[in-house]
Amino acid sequence: MSSRVLPQFDLLEPRNVADVIALLSQHENQVSVLAGGTDLLVWAYIEKNKTPYVLSLSAIEGLDHLDYVAGEGLRIGAKVKVAQLLKHPDVAKHYPALYQAAENFATPQIRNMATVMGNVLRASPAGDCSCAILALGAKVVLQGPAGQRLVDIDDFWVSYGVTERQPDELAVELRIDDTSSSTCSAFQRLTRVHEDLSKLNVAVRLEMDQDTCKQARIAMGCVGPTPLRLKKTERLLTGAKISAELLQQVAAAAREEVTPIDDQRSTAEYRRQVSGVILKRVIEQAVAKS
Amino acid sequence: MKTKMITLCVNGKDHRFEVPVNRTLLQALRDDLKLTETKYGCGTGECGGCTVLMDGKDSVCSCLTLAVEAEGRHITTVGGMTHEGELHPIQIAFIEEGAVQCGYCTPGMIMKTASILANNPNPTEEEIRKGLDGNICRCTGYEKIVQAVRRASVMMDTAQTRKVGGMRA
Ligand SMILES: Cc1cc2nc3c(=O)[nH]c(=O)nc-3n(C[C@H](O)[C@H](O)[C@H](O)COP(=O)(O)OP(=O)(O)OC[C@H]3O[C@@H](n4cnc5c(N)ncnc54)[C@H](O)[C@@H]3O)c2cc1C
Ligand code: FES
Ligand code: FES
Repeated sequence: MSSRVLPQFDLLEPRNVADVIALLSQHENQVSVLAGGTDLLVWAYIEKNKTPYVLSLSAIEGLDHLDYVAGEGLRIGAKVKVAQLLKHPDVAKHYPALYQAAENFATPQIRNMATVMGNVLRASPAGDCSCAILALGAKVVLQGPAGQRLVDIDDFWVSYGVTERQPDELAVELRIDDTSSSTCSAFQRLTRVHEDLSKLNVAVRLEMDQDTCKQARIAMGCVGPTPLRLKKTERLLTGAKISAELLQQVAAAAREEVTPIDDQRSTAEYRRQVSGVILKRVIEQAVAKS
Repeated sequence: MKTKMITLCVNGKDHRFEVPVNRTLLQALRDDLKLTETKYGCGTGECGGCTVLMDGKDSVCSCLTLAVEAEGRHITTVGGMTHEGELHPIQIAFIEEGAVQCGYCTPGMIMKTASILANNPNPTEEEIRKGLDGNICRCTGYEKIVQAVRRASVMMDTAQTRKVGGMRA
């Protein structure tokens, strides 16, 4: 045997969303949904999160749409891969933060395999697309026996690895809020090498009027159990003119607001230190391009 | 189901066999089909030793793909790069640049190079380096691999105009 053997499971291969819902309802908490598999099929993960059934999305027609509609926003189907974001001109144009997250995400192979939805559903505080999506503002479309419901991304992650999704629901689409010509956004992350998960990541979305920030959304990852909005820090930016002095205050506020821990990739102390620095840089990057 | 009859198309040839559903594509290639050119390094998507090409273009890690999920796709391993006994220009470039030492990473590197050049026939050095992310080499220090990719891109550009050296999906 030339590699570690995955635990045994029963594979379900439904052909449409209705059949997915029926199977999820029938087997309750016994099913893992398989999208790209880049989290699920990592041996240590599946060993720890073993379920008797794995439900593959690959036989399902559709769910692979990636559409931008001005006035509505971006729709990302559950099967859209991270690599697809990089090929869509509207993502680069209207959602720089999401584009930059995809660009810095893992390696070419993993980008070809991993779905954007899987990143959100994994509910890891280190998710790069998740961080950008939280800053941009979005809704997750969940489909269950009673039909579809929309959950705001601000409410979607409950705790580490846990989301609002119920066991009988499939996440079918992400709807990213629309942007306008006064919106700017950016993403940055700190890693040792690309294969590593982030030590810290941050994304911002700013509504600007000349030099004045009308509204701000700041998302930071690896500084709490889920990706976090830094709402106190956002308030410092709202209605203020972007200046070197303001960015110093913003950096100091971020250091106060984050709640990092020590783990194998970094220490709480380092993360707290760099959180402000990286936030300052990402704001500068966002406004420079606007 | 716990096992499934599948047809895997590898290097242009169909193989029909039964696999346990928890078998990775890497295991199916190496253990069932005895195509051992694709290597196991980490099993967690980080080293790129197991890289194969899907549908002639996209590099993926066969260690994180279920064999059953690869049905219906065209899989290319480094074994499928030669054409009627002739080495592919990418293979020749790796030899000529001395981009191979122990050789363990080479099958993955060649497939990654094929994917880089399929998507971008004339990559810049930066694009080559970014493209090689996800393939680890413990021997060469990468310089010669980068040069090999560049040489391959030039060779294939010339070959293209002479209509030789096509790669089979
Ligand atoms: C080598 C390597 C490097 C990585 N680097 C990065 C990185 O740089 N940045 C980063 O953010 N992540 C990284 N990851 C993690 C991983 O690639 C991402 O989280 C990825 O987006 C997961 O998507 P997937 O399609 O592979 O999900 P899967 O592994 O298929 O699923 C992930 C989770 O989401 C659930 N799920 C997926 N789709 C649905 C759905 N439609 N409805 C309900 N539940 C669903 C699954 O059940 C599972 O719990 C890396 C992973 C590896 C192996
Ligand atoms: S064995 Fe697949 S990436 Fe290392
Ligand atoms: S040549 Fe030995 S690992 Fe690359």
